[in-house]
Amino acid sequence: MQGFVATCLIGISLGAQYALLALGFTLIFGILGVVNFAHGGFYVLGGYLAYSAVTYLGMPYALAVICAALGTTLLGFLFERFVLDRVIDDHLATLMLTLGLYLMMSSGILVVFGPQSPAFAFPLTGVIHGHGFFVPIENLVVLGVCIVGILSIYGLIYYTDFGRALRALADDRAVATAQGLRPAILFPAAFALATGLAGLTGALVTPILSLAPHIGDPVLATSFLIVILGGLGSVGGATVAAFIVGMAEAFSAVYLGGSKGALALFVLVLVMLVVKPSGLFGHRVRGA
Amino acid sequence: MLAVKDLEVRYGGITAISGVSIDVAEGETVLLIGANGAGKSSLINAIIGLVQASHGSVRFAGRDLSAVSCDGRARAGIGYSPEGRRVFPTMSVADNVLSGACWHGGASQRQAWAWLCGIFPILKERASQPAGQLSGGQQQIVALARAMSSFPKLLLLDEPFLGLAPVWIAQISEAIRHMQQRGTTILMTEQMARPALKLATRGYVMRGGEVRRSGTVAEIRDVALAEEYL
Repeated sequence: MQGFVATCLIGISLGAQYALLALGFTLIFGILGVVNFAHGGFYVLGGYLAYSAVTYLGMPYALAVICAALGTTLLGFLFERFVLDRVIDDHLATLMLTLGLYLMMSSGILVVFGPQSPAFAFPLTGVIHGHGFFVPIENLVVLGVCIVGILSIYGLIYYTDFGRALRALADDRAVATAQGLRPAILFPAAFALATGLAGLTGALVTPILSLAPHIGDPVLATSFLIVILGGLGSVGGATVAAFIVGMAEAFSAVYLGGSKGALALFVLVLVMLVVKPSGLFGHRVRGA
Repeated sequence: MLAVKDLEVRYGGITAISGVSIDVAEGETVLLIGANGAGKSSLINAIIGLVQASHGSVRFAGRDLSAVSCDGRARAGIGYSPEGRRVFPTMSVADNVLSGACWHGGASQRQAWAWLCGIFPILKERASQPAGQLSGGQQQIVALARAMSSFPKLLLLDEPFLGLAPVWIAQISEAIRHMQQRGTTILMTEQMARPALKLATRGYVMRGGEVRRSGTVAEIRDVALAEEYL
């Protein structure tokens, strides 16, 4: 029972991290119709920006996390506005551009920081003991930040004019534009929001997990897995799927072993997609 | 208010409209009638900027719109209700309606919502329901309310009565009269022109992508009768 509770907490913590990451990925697909292959790159960049701010500038970790999120937000905005926007309706071009950006980011990081994982530790350590189980403090802090982040994104998307405009563009871009909504501003803003979330997650999570130039690959794969499971473009679906993946990963790692855990996860997703190919909350997200 | 001159729209190698010139004076309600494929929607789409004209000009309130984006035209005061309603299906009725005014600011949105709920009580009753779940007539009301919510100077209505039951036609007609009383200029298209002719002050008949006839409502009614648009 104690092991079950501890595993649940780990699963919830993982799920919250994945949700924050996958929300950005699914937002970009739902609103812009772009599969952002650079999403994992922004996660890595967020980690390295926070690491650099702490290590070279002596910033407090909390401030470094904010700077990392802002840095990836700015880069995302500029990339969408000046590069992606020109070819936004050409799926192959957007795929190649985001993939190219990811390769540039990971190669650039490799050149600047080298292949080794830098020593980047979470500033808070220790554990909280419960009735027979314990939880690392850093996991709880990250869980708290992720939950605040997820709720903020929900508030932004469902209770603000900005979110309403983004949802309108996701439903039917042409008609939304004819109502006066400005894709020239809203698309870069949506992309920046998503890349900011990836950077925030990277800055938060890499001190606990690991930081290296090529860790963006599994991050991208996990994001893909989650948004496919939740239903492409569905914000709610991505969140639920992230927690399912987090729990599945935690339980399979504990009860089946590390390598079998990943296999169990992919089998779970495969079964889900056979039963419901559109994902848990899949629906048509882009109008004609 | 609106001056379209020698407009041509092409889709690849196909010419949808050619040499179309129309004028709509301030406060007028002008009707475009014609069969399916006559070019009415292409003309409306070119005015709002959803399709690019290959030739000719569109002037609105004295301003050439050639270099103005679609969203810029809406913000300049052109409201648009598309053919086939095209509500945002996953969004609530309230969000649909207010999406047309969300660049106006909170006070204006509240004012628009209160005004529109007065005209269409169903908006308040169904405010939180996804618009994709509504009937065709209800969706047309949402699409019209969305176009009206920004208090446009010019309202483009593309087939607002298409496929609607008489009860909904009456409600839509009533809403258009509201806009007329506010002094809004209206350009609307219809295939079945009977309800639209009751609202219009002038009209144009389109066929094969060209304007074939223009005139008063009485004159257009004669053409409509002859060509079975009534």
